[in-house]
Amino acid sequence: MPTEHETKAASEEQRRASAAARAERAARARAATQAARAARAARAAEPVRVVPKHEGLVRTAHWAHVALLIGLILSGLAIYWAAPVFRHAPSPGNPRGDYLVDAGRALVSLFGGTGNMPNWFYDRFSVGPFQLANALRLHWLFAYLYMACGALYVAGLVRGGGWRALLPRATDPAEALAMLRYYLGVVPHALSRKPWPHPPVAGKYNALQRGAYFTMPLVGALVVLSGWAMHKPAMLGWLERLFVNYDGARIVHFTCMVILGGFTIPHVILVVADGWDTFRGMVTGWSTRLKGTPHA
Amino acid sequence: MPERAKRPPLGARLAGALRRTAEAAAERPEASRETTRGALAVRSRRDFLLFGASVVATAMAGWWLLPERTKRTWFPGTADRLDTLAARVGLTRMQREAQLNRVLTFDDDVAEALYSSHRRVRTYDRPDPRPLRNNYHGRTPGPEYLAGWRLNLSGLASGRRQSLAIDELRARFTRHDMNTRLVCVEGWSHVVAWGGMRFADLLAAYPPASGMRWAALRSNVGLDGAGNPEPYDVSIDLETARHPQALLATHHGGAPLTLAHGAPLRLVVPMKLGLKNIKAITDIAYTEAEPSDYWNERGYSKYDGL
Repeated sequence: MPTEHETKAASEEQRRASAAARAERAARARAATQAARAARAARAAEPVRVVPKHEGLVRTAHWAHVALLIGLILSGLAIYWAAPVFRHAPSPGNPRGDYLVDAGRALVSLFGGTGNMPNWFYDRFSVGPFQLANALRLHWLFAYLYMACGALYVAGLVRGGGWRALLPRATDPAEALAMLRYYLGVVPHALSRKPWPHPPVAGKYNALQRGAYFTMPLVGALVVLSGWAMHKPAMLGWLERLFVNYDGARIVHFTCMVILGGFTIPHVILVVADGWDTFRGMVTGWSTRLKGTPHA
Repeated sequence: MPERAKRPPLGARLAGALRRTAEAAAERPEASRETTRGALAVRSRRDFLLFGASVVATAMAGWWLLPERTKRTWFPGTADRLDTLAARVGLTRMQREAQLNRVLTFDDDVAEALYSSHRRVRTYDRPDPRPLRNNYHGRTPGPEYLAGWRLNLSGLASGRRQSLAIDELRARFTRHDMNTRLVCVEGWSHVVAWGGMRFADLLAAYPPASGMRWAALRSNVGLDGAGNPEPYDVSIDLETARHPQALLATHHGGAPLTLAHGAPLRLVVPMKLGLKNIKAITDIAYTEAEPSDYWNERGYSKYDGL
């Protein structure tokens, strides 16, 4: 049996040893923190090359367009509800012969509904039926903002020189075909695990992107012009005549809406497929993907 | 004689200009720049915070702008709570109505700036062959009022009230015919063959008192959907009333106006939306201040200029 003195000495030794261990652990932790901080600082100081992609006004206008286009479509379809221009012969279930009512019913039945809801489409894809006065006020608000936004976009393209990347080129048809062939082959080649290289892209955009990004501002201009032709057919009679007549302007306006809305579907899919850098580029304006590095 | 400096031929000069234009429009090679990861992270964080804040602000403003019925349809459970949240930052329903009405006023100002009494509204060789839609808001009035119908004028320079029968009007004023498009706020339109007297001629025959800027047109025979009396009124600026294509129409499709289209006298102003083309006018009062307007009180524009 150890004496009391011996026990005391042992515990004293233990205490000292554990204190030393604690101090050593603390020192190690300090050193680790310092090293991590130094590593972070070194990483932060690391040089990196970026390429400016989108001018600030272009980015602002791009994101504002998203909200405005949604607002314009929601209010515009509620205006369309009041007097649809695309109509078929009236039927018992659809006495107005409105195609959007039919589209709504088809969608409901897809989800297993009864399809006996004539306003199903307008309730979901517009601010709703019986909202003409509200929808008109909203549409004018968004329309004026949309025009201002379009001007901002063009100003950004001019200021940043981005317009040069959008102009059509002689090589575009051939390059567009190569891109189509590439897109059609992506999924089969991924499934069979065969390599499928991206066709070379000479500039900022490939020919398909260039075609789309050049056309969309023109469709935007056309949607504004046809809008004014409907809004002021008496005082801007020359503009109404440009679209043949009032109904012509309505049809062009509606078609432009479908094109602008339809464009966003492949646009969003391709941005998601292209990756984070592409999305970040439209928020921050720069990209770390330099020319010559492999295209994702 | 000094020899003239030889200029290159036109073809070469044009080709040169074309080449220079093409060069100016050609895409510039990608110009990358060097920075540090740290600087990039700071900028990126700032931009994404700004982006996120804008998304939240836009969503809030969007919610605030939605009509009440739409909010209840889309978010039946949470609409009230979201409304309370928006109201906390000052986005109330009253604020929304005030802002949206300012938009209408702005759009009316644009329409008024575009208006010119010298600009003719487009006319057509032939009217639309389909029958014109009867868009009476309520019930179409019966023929009882026709026998005792008179047009009452007030706010005249003479200081008296004037009451005119339809035969007097027809006998006294020249009839003008025109095929113009009636454009409804709902989106449909119709080319109609109208016939009637010029509003300008009535204004010349019974001039308004000095300082009058508006015509308040009223139909006392209007009915609501249940068949109860509901007068209809529109405000017309005298600038528009004096336009040569502003008619007080008595005929439609070559025949006297039917009850459905405002017998015996209606307004035809093709430079205004259809809802300003008041049917079965019984009173015209010239006023200094802008008079009331049936559809303006129901959320539509005041000026309605096309």
